[in-house]
Amino acid sequence: MKAADIVKATIIITIIGFISAFSLSFVKKITQEPIAKQEQEKKLAALAMVLPGYTIEQEKTVRIDNMPFTYWVAIKNENNVVKKAWAFLAEKKGYGGPIQSIVGVDESNVILGFTILSQNETPGLGARCVEVVSNETFIDHFITKNITNKEEVSWFQEQFVGLNAGTPIAIQKKGDWHKEMKQELIQHNAITAITGATITTKAVTQSIEEGIQKLHKALTLQEVQ
Amino acid sequence: MEIKILFTILISTIFINNYVLSRILGICPYLGVSKKLDSAVGMGLAVIFVMTMASFFTFIIYKFVLIPFHIEYLRTIAFIIVIASLVQLVEMVIEKISPALYQALGIFLPLITTNCAVLGVAVLNIDSGFITQEFGLLNSVVQGFGAGVGFTLALLLMAGIRERLEIAMVPENLKGLPITFITAGLMAMAFLGFSGMKIF
Amino acid sequence: MDYFKEFFKGVWQKNPILVLGIGMCPTLAVTTSASNAIWMATATTFVLLGSNILVSTIRTIVPSHVRIPIFITIIASFVIIVELTLKAFQPDVYKALGIFIPLIVVNCIILGRAEEFASKNSVVHSILDALGMGVGFGLTLFILATAREILGANKFFGYTLIPGMKPAILMILAPGAFFTLGLLLWAMNVIKSRKARFKRTE
Repeated sequence: MKAADIVKATIIITIIGFISAFSLSFVKKITQEPIAKQEQEKKLAALAMVLPGYTIEQEKTVRIDNMPFTYWVAIKNENNVVKKAWAFLAEKKGYGGPIQSIVGVDESNVILGFTILSQNETPGLGARCVEVVSNETFIDHFITKNITNKEEVSWFQEQFVGLNAGTPIAIQKKGDWHKEMKQELIQHNAITAITGATITTKAVTQSIEEGIQKLHKALTLQEVQ
Repeated sequence: MEIKILFTILISTIFINNYVLSRILGICPYLGVSKKLDSAVGMGLAVIFVMTMASFFTFIIYKFVLIPFHIEYLRTIAFIIVIASLVQLVEMVIEKISPALYQALGIFLPLITTNCAVLGVAVLNIDSGFITQEFGLLNSVVQGFGAGVGFTLALLLMAGIRERLEIAMVPENLKGLPITFITAGLMAMAFLGFSGMKIF
Repeated sequence: MDYFKEFFKGVWQKNPILVLGIGMCPTLAVTTSASNAIWMATATTFVLLGSNILVSTIRTIVPSHVRIPIFITIIASFVIIVELTLKAFQPDVYKALGIFIPLIVVNCIILGRAEEFASKNSVVHSILDALGMGVGFGLTLFILATAREILGANKFFGYTLIPGMKPAILMILAPGAFFTLGLLLWAMNVIKSRKARFKRTE
């Protein structure tokens, strides 16, 4: 190989790299705002879902056990009594990677709402933790346009509402969830597992348990200060 | 505590989340070099080596170059360049140090650049959240090694089966790729049995 | 006529998946639902089109011994463009396809077409080639995904087909992917050998 060839090759690669970096930073600049907006909207929607009726006061990030922990403080004025509630980010490694969720709890550790932000579980098994049971059929949607029985909330996440996060959440294997189960499960402070995805179910309950402990640590830390 | 986590990562990448049979990554080399057992061994070793190295270097690049400069979005391009040059480098080093090993692995190395399992493990190391963890680098290297071993395991099993299939009576139209895919499907079903396995 | 042939060869004669046997990973992994398949095919076609156009434009000035790194840089840049665009405007799709978006870089179809076709042919031909390959890829993905979604989830584009029926989850898991593609390749072989026999008897 002659020296001139090497120089030529280097120049061409440099030019290509330069052009590519330039155009990518341009694309980044265009998409930056929508991405940030999407994430913000998603966070607000999740918070509104886990703390229904409350107004978010502030967002805080503290370090607990050397790991960052984010939580939100919210209040609600009910019959002139100010009620406090918290929401926190919970995370635990599931089957295919971390499962991240937001949990809303009130002063007596009762879960007000729960929603999974991101998961990477197996489709058909663990990924059913975000499944929305929809009875809406193909025919309903496109032919008769009868969209009455549409559900918005995932059945798995719905189960957690009303449970006490302060005590361990039990997992029962009762097969597929239906609404009539709810009362019985609340009595046992339990949820029904996703069929064939016990690891995912366990990761979620554990993340809530660990999260609430961290929340209490964070709150006592706050009082000390 | 740490050893337990490393062991969990290893077992889960080799068996439970096997890169080929469960995550469906690296199918092209899986089909391409599983015709003969000895070439499968060579390819497997080369992949283990490159995946472990790639996990190490991509993690370092991400943590100490991409994050400080806030250019995480260039991850894909940075990783593929790292992997491609790593493969070239490994090829040259092996050729100089051990001609015998080069004879065995040489022809497989260039193929690895486009093996999506290698880029896959690099990206998954980041997506698994190892970056913020205390022993993140060690975890991702172990994950890379485990992924390579898992790939090799699937490749060797397949090569063993395909050598027998050569002399078996297979319907004319199923010969070649179709029967290989159906075999792979059966193997994937067997590996599904590992899911839900309790490690500790 | 020549142009039409250039386009159509990717759809049938040289279908990237069914005939050339490349680009298998996304084919198997993202075909869990029909909408995933369509998005994946769109993203891949965009990258393929972009890289084919650029590669055929600069084909005369690129020294051959450094062509592979240059091609990879071009392809990776387009992949990042796709990644960022999806993340900004279709976050659900970005989440559903996950790791397989960055992995478009190592989809053999794209580097294969850049090396085989675009680096030797004119821009117009390369565009047609990319579109044809993209459509061929997309159609195969769509067939696979439809079969898997109907059998494995009892759904089509996310809408339940028969209320109350339990689907065969296996079809949506990894084994189902292998089985479906195996059967599709088998069907392809049957059609081909029928044609060959038909020609002989003629």
